[in-house]
Amino acid sequence: MINFSLIVEEFRNELISLSSDLRDDIKDALLQDGLDFIEGSKADLERWSNLFAAGQLSREELEWLLRSKRDLVEMEALKQKGLALARIDRYRNAVTQSALNAVFKGIS
Amino acid sequence: MSDVRTWYVYWLSRITAGLVFIALLSLGCAPSIALYSERAYDQAVTLKASSLRLMDRAVEPYNDHEQSIESLLFEMDKAYEYARGRPANELSTRQWEILRDPDRHLLGGFIRRWEEQETLSPFFISEAKEQVGHAFDTVIGLESGKIRPSEVN
Repeated sequence: MINFSLIVEEFRNELISLSSDLRDDIKDALLQDGLDFIEGSKADLERWSNLFAAGQLSREELEWLLRSKRDLVEMEALKQKGLALARIDRYRNAVTQSALNAVFKGIS
Repeated sequence: MSDVRTWYVYWLSRITAGLVFIALLSLGCAPSIALYSERAYDQAVTLKASSLRLMDRAVEPYNDHEQSIESLLFEMDKAYEYARGRPANELSTRQWEILRDPDRHLLGGFIRRWEEQETLSPFFISEAKEQVGHAFDTVIGLESGKIRPSEVN
């Protein structure tokens, strides 16, 4: 039987580790997006269990797929962190633009 | 005349201070992540399609498709090296590393398994394709979420 709670916990730890250098509000958003992703994986895990029980997947194949899920979790966490960093850059660009606008308004 | 001079010096100093402030603001804010690259996006999309198509062939002997496999792995290497060469692109680079690593369990691992097992079962291939497809989607999703060069000041 696949321990889904363990997978969720592992993923949460992965996300926390990856987001340690981000602001709290961005960290929270990243964690929530990530947890939504892993909840969506529950159907995969259930299907694999059923395929294994029906003899259509070997034990080795099941183990491989579980490890692939773990790798996919890491890929998703990297994506979420990257999107959070892009949001930070967009905010910084907006602040710089506002400052520029204020200076040029002051000139005119 | 001295009023004009005073006015001139006053405004020049204010404008200079403002521009220095903006310059410092910009310099202190190096990008957190690489800008969007059309080339990187195209690479990821093309390699996703090629990889999934090749995975379907794993019901047949590995040796029958060795050339296609080598060709795909070469393209993966190129995508990885391109990602690695871009500044502030560590996250995307790490994604490519995981995807192509034969010791992991995505595309690189699938190809190794195919080589070791000679052929793979249709059920396993179908499930593995889902995972590899989603993995490529994370690469594509990250790239498309980056800031376009046209958005930068």
